[in-house]
Amino acid sequence: MSQYQVLPGPEAFLPPAAASMGNVLPDPGEAHIEGRIVPEDEAYEVFARKVLGAKVPTIFPGPLVLWKWNDHVAEKAKAIRELANEAPMRIIPMADYRPKYPKIEAAVEINPNHPNLTIWHNKIDVCIFIGVHCHQANLSLKIIRGGTNCYTMAMCAMAGHEDACLSFRDADLGKIRKLIDAVKKLKSEGVESQAIPFKQFKLSRAGLVDQSAN
Amino acid sequence: MNKQVELKNKRIIASKHVKLGQKNRMDQTYTDINDIFFKAEQTPNFLTGSEVIREAIKRCSVGTSVAYPITPQSEAAALIGEIYAEGYLDEYFRGESEFAVMGQCAGAAFGGHRVFTTTAGPGTLRAMENFPMWAGARLPIQVCVTCRGVNSPLSIQPDTLEMYYLLETGMLVWHAETAQDLFDFIMKGFIVAEQPDVHVPIAVCCDGFFVTHTKDTVDLPPLDLTLTPYDPYQNPQPVMDMETSPIRMMRDPFVMKSNYISYATHASWQQEIKAAVERSRKHTIPLLDGLIDEYNADRELLIVASGTAVSQSREAIRLLEEEGIKVGLVKIKTIRPFPTEEIRRVTKHAKHIFVPEFNVVGWLAREIKAIIPDNERVYVGPHVCGGMTMPSEVIVEQIKIQLGMETTPLRM
Amino acid sequence: MSKEKIQICEDLADVMPPEYQELVATATYGNQDRGWKDIGSSKELIEQHSLCAGCPESIAFRYILASLPAPEDTVFVGSTGCTSLVFPHVAVHNIHSLFGNQNAIASGLKRTLKSRFPDVEKDVVVLAGDGATVDIGLDMTMQSWFRLEKFTTICFDNELYANTGGQESGLMQKGFVAKMAPKGKNFEKVRLAEIAREAGCAYVAVLTVSKPNRVEQAIKNAIYVAREVGPSFVQLYTPCILEIGKQSMEGLDEMKDSETIGGRFVQKEYITDEAQKLLDSIKEETKARKKAAKEAKKSVNA
Repeated sequence: MSQYQVLPGPEAFLPPAAASMGNVLPDPGEAHIEGRIVPEDEAYEVFARKVLGAKVPTIFPGPLVLWKWNDHVAEKAKAIRELANEAPMRIIPMADYRPKYPKIEAAVEINPNHPNLTIWHNKIDVCIFIGVHCHQANLSLKIIRGGTNCYTMAMCAMAGHEDACLSFRDADLGKIRKLIDAVKKLKSEGVESQAIPFKQFKLSRAGLVDQSAN
Repeated sequence: MNKQVELKNKRIIASKHVKLGQKNRMDQTYTDINDIFFKAEQTPNFLTGSEVIREAIKRCSVGTSVAYPITPQSEAAALIGEIYAEGYLDEYFRGESEFAVMGQCAGAAFGGHRVFTTTAGPGTLRAMENFPMWAGARLPIQVCVTCRGVNSPLSIQPDTLEMYYLLETGMLVWHAETAQDLFDFIMKGFIVAEQPDVHVPIAVCCDGFFVTHTKDTVDLPPLDLTLTPYDPYQNPQPVMDMETSPIRMMRDPFVMKSNYISYATHASWQQEIKAAVERSRKHTIPLLDGLIDEYNADRELLIVASGTAVSQSREAIRLLEEEGIKVGLVKIKTIRPFPTEEIRRVTKHAKHIFVPEFNVVGWLAREIKAIIPDNERVYVGPHVCGGMTMPSEVIVEQIKIQLGMETTPLRM
Repeated sequence: MSKEKIQICEDLADVMPPEYQELVATATYGNQDRGWKDIGSSKELIEQHSLCAGCPESIAFRYILASLPAPEDTVFVGSTGCTSLVFPHVAVHNIHSLFGNQNAIASGLKRTLKSRFPDVEKDVVVLAGDGATVDIGLDMTMQSWFRLEKFTTICFDNELYANTGGQESGLMQKGFVAKMAPKGKNFEKVRLAEIAREAGCAYVAVLTVSKPNRVEQAIKNAIYVAREVGPSFVQLYTPCILEIGKQSMEGLDEMKDSETIGGRFVQKEYITDEAQKLLDSIKEETKARKKAAKEAKKSVNA
């Protein structure tokens, strides 16, 4: 049996979990790219190339970095914002995992129950999950791979995700900062962002803030 | 596999728990599992299987254990009560039925404790609805199943049929041959099941009475070492303690009604549980020294077995050897995940594969037949059930019959 | 979790959906005097639900969530049924595991939280329907009371299995014709409140949800008693208007009718002496605290 590659879809009506196809997670110090185990440093550069080469690169921050439930989170959130500004990348939050009724606002949020809607609506071609619980991240990654052509990446605080096209493990503030450094480095070498110009949306308690008024 | 898991370097990723090296209230030092098994001196002790369960739990930093009487696990469950009274566990009580006990275990695990319980036979079946719930909820609870007959007719004797019911619950299912296995599997089982990429429940099974009620020599690590505690925040799901975000969180079926959800979520969830079981291979292989043990497995005649059927096979092989018949042996330690690749490899050259079992259906033989080419090589048996013993001579006889050799039939 | 931790990281706050910003800004976490009167003036902990229009269960849910003394340290245990359509949208941790095992789950959970957080009072509250509490789960409901497990059990009594389409339940009134009772139910409504009292509950209340202040008081009493004394039980009539042939606007009348003299849900309480003593002292404390706060306010104004 040849090695299962974790590539952007649309792959299948119900694609298999990569772990069930024999893909093993990286060990500390390693990452995986499309199912191939690589030294972690190699993955930073691939991450940066994917982001800069994308039309709609997007960060999906999850509850573990959105909510200030411990002292370290605020620093991670700050670094995520910095990454978004540096690349640039859009930020679309996964605030929690509830099935929102009757539907999510696909332009401004993502949900593990039907993450494909957010990918399709915004035409996202490259994304990275940060701070989503592993179980929900795996569900999302697999559904996205099944139905969309988005290249998925994960900055995981635990053991990583075989169901992403590219995954880091043991994420901490330092590793999020390394993502920023990798983007900066490629830019300094002359690689330009291919992102379609956009303005990051802003929401307030009243709803979407009209940025044109500013 | 995209990466081979090496057997040479017998190590699982070391614990980074903040309490590593500190002492607990029993003056035990929280120690990484690698050091407990591969560094510390092991001392022989002569113990019953039930006492072995007690000795393992003393060294496992367990938070909650819930007990209920059913033969043959009652003694072990009561012994855990005794060590709770001594101060080894935080919580222990008797539940009202196995269905309730497994719910109480789930509640404790949802709240962030390391949880251990024991059950057997009809108790396993009474509890059954809980097991896939544990797995779907990613609760790394350990249940030690001391296998006995499943009614009806009522039997309290050894029989491994209940393991067949556990195979598709989404739990890890390991099968101990001896008291030593039982001790090792209980301690190592917690660590594998609690890996954040695995984080599913584990059933450590042994054959009732044969293992629980006989005495055997077991090597134990020092009692002043205990496993590093369970860290509930190394978890693929939020802990239900109102200390983790998101606070708007229901565990576990966030998919409550078909009217507002994609079925793909349900399907992916089920796949994720199977995937979690697969991920346990990487952690289990170094700790258990592989998912199987093999002895002369390149021979044309091969016995593949699990549990005490392995012990009976060892003696059968010795008897056959005396007659010049050479038979290899493969011992399966983990039934879930099933050692598919390993079994394909070791059975490559076998012409006849015998699968002795203590149950009426021959489920292990079915598992093997389902994954190897030319599966007419598999002889389903010999098997006994309902508490019968399986004398080694019965295995010898069946092998001889299959080979077309003269044999005197054994009678009861 | 302290109120201070229920916050959004500043750098990502302006991409968070409005309902979460609202939750952080105006929900009443950490306010020990929170109650039903906050409904309408602060963010409720229930975001949305998919219950039927006019369902009394939905208003009961809102009163209960508004009345929790410490939602920031409360974990709910639910069960299968209409309530499980609401729980995913509730802003406190909650567990649905199986049908009927809610009091078993809560037993393990409460003991674990007590052991893990010895210095914080973590309230565990079971909220399940009458099928879960009385029929399939009665063993586990009662056994948790026998063991004097210190958590609150709330039963939404709609006198039938609503979510599966209106089948007979043990709490249904005698003679009612329902699915699976084609000739009418032939035994009396199970006397759950009396069972609770005899099984060890230190505080028992039976009422409808027609009057929010009463619901608030019963829920608060039950949770305070569970913290200090022992198990507590609240049975709330939340009629299933759909299955008893009522219109959306008729739920309130149905509850009011049933709580008048001779009705099935005339308000009653069973309180042990120890629990009563506790409730009295809490009442005194609350009064004194509110008085002090009022005077402090007065002196500032002066």
